[in-house]
Amino acid sequence: MLDVKKVRGGDGLAPISAQVDEILESVFETTRKATEAFFNAYNENPNPKQLATWLETRAWREIDYVFLLNEQIRRYGMRFKRNHITLLAKQSFQEAEHYEDVGRAVESLGGTVPTTVPEPAMEWSNWLWDCMDRHHLAGIAAWYCSETSASGSFEPTFVGAERAGHAEVVKIYKQIEIDEKFHTSLGRQILSTYAETDEDRAEILRAMIGMRDIAWKTFTPEVVAATVRAKEKVAAAG
Amino acid sequence: MIATTAFEVKVRSISRSSDGVVAVELCHVNDAPLPGWAAGSHIDLLLPNGLTRQYSLCGEQGDAAWRIAVLREPAGRGGSAYIHDVLRPGDVLSAAGPRNNFALVDAQSYLFIAGGIGITPILPMLKEASARQRPWTLIYGGRTRRSMAFLDEVRAHGSADVHIMPQDEVGLIDLDRHLAVPQRGSLIYCCGPGPLIDAVESASRSWPSGSLHRERFGPKPVDQTLVEGSFEIELALSGSVLTVGEDDSLLEVLEEAGYPVTNSCRAGICGTCLLKVLRGECDHRDDLLDDEQRASNTMILPCVSRAKSKRLVLEL
Repeated sequence: MLDVKKVRGGDGLAPISAQVDEILESVFETTRKATEAFFNAYNENPNPKQLATWLETRAWREIDYVFLLNEQIRRYGMRFKRNHITLLAKQSFQEAEHYEDVGRAVESLGGTVPTTVPEPAMEWSNWLWDCMDRHHLAGIAAWYCSETSASGSFEPTFVGAERAGHAEVVKIYKQIEIDEKFHTSLGRQILSTYAETDEDRAEILRAMIGMRDIAWKTFTPEVVAATVRAKEKVAAAG
Repeated sequence: MIATTAFEVKVRSISRSSDGVVAVELCHVNDAPLPGWAAGSHIDLLLPNGLTRQYSLCGEQGDAAWRIAVLREPAGRGGSAYIHDVLRPGDVLSAAGPRNNFALVDAQSYLFIAGGIGITPILPMLKEASARQRPWTLIYGGRTRRSMAFLDEVRAHGSADVHIMPQDEVGLIDLDRHLAVPQRGSLIYCCGPGPLIDAVESASRSWPSGSLHRERFGPKPVDQTLVEGSFEIELALSGSVLTVGEDDSLLEVLEEAGYPVTNSCRAGICGTCLLKVLRGECDHRDDLLDDEQRASNTMILPCVSRAKSKRLVLEL
């Protein structure tokens, strides 16, 4: 009902707001379709280990956000108003809760909660940290895009996981959906408040375009299937 | 007033129900079926003199016509006077609803307490409770027997436990007799003048939380001793009134009173805690509602926003 893209902050994104919105709509839609495709394939032949593998990448994202947000505060926080430091810290706390909850779901499905970057998430994680190194707003822009991508996965996750009888997964993602509105709203507000120059805006767009092209990939059934095969190969060799 | 679609109704009949009370039957202006309703529902009537009033539906569910009952209020602002003195069969009015902030929740048994015109939402509840085969008791008080509407319909429930208590015959209702000892599994439904509801709230304080459902026909008077910067919130669905101190957050006050509200940022930027406002003027301090939403005074983000008026009525 309330559009968090319209959160008030400053005019920093005004010259590029149409492009920003286009990127967000695009990543939302590609992720939605990828998630639908995953659950359609999953429900034809449900294998809990496939769902666990799909969730392992989700779990990694949560903890990587925790690292990222705290590093953002450490490196760049003194450029922000105190309330934004508090809100970034609050987001970090919620991401940690998500890591815990998604991790629990992974384990219940027979999977292993990642403690290092899983291979399917490598490109995503590298892009995020590359942005963080480049510019004080680029990391935020990248996770803003990534969080919006995640939002696109929620509805098909609810439908697909419920159909497969995974009520716990639905419950966890219902909570994550609530928090994600806060996270995307905060991202928008910070960018619009602190973007001042054309260089700032160029870095924001670069970060978001890069993440747009990466974020949806790990949601697809093909990537999950390839990851499962790779794990089985390693297990067989060991 | 909540924005719902209004439509035209025609007055089918007006009849005297008791001293000072008329019963008005309303049908659709085109004889189309009226919206269905459940016990406890009320409608908004926009009177030709410009006043909008809410009236409980007190007829038979499923009837082609709605029935309301209107008490003449000498100290009112003209709504009841219009209905008693000017309104005629055949007149056309605008109506909206029904809405229901006083629904009959399922319980093992019921204690209904009605004071005066407060019988109107209670009357359909008696029938509903009987249909559900739930035992019930009715305590119906009024100034005099002649002033009490629908006595015949109440008595028609035959073997039910009905106490008709005109004040000029038996004095004030002995609420302690019925409320001093909580009845497990039983709910109390009360409607009537403010002092009656206040008395029932006091007498039932030992009952489990949530046992008492009440509907006030007028708002509970604002506490005149409120500290500057404080305001009250009235929860329309439960009738509770809470005070938000000048250093309190509206959200925290609700949570501490046992009304959890889904929330996330607690900073006015995510919209998760959005609540519907029924009356009062908001002091919006969020970063999300646009100018039109703010000006409507129909919604609020309680994590950061407050009230400009002394009281806000929330749909909670």
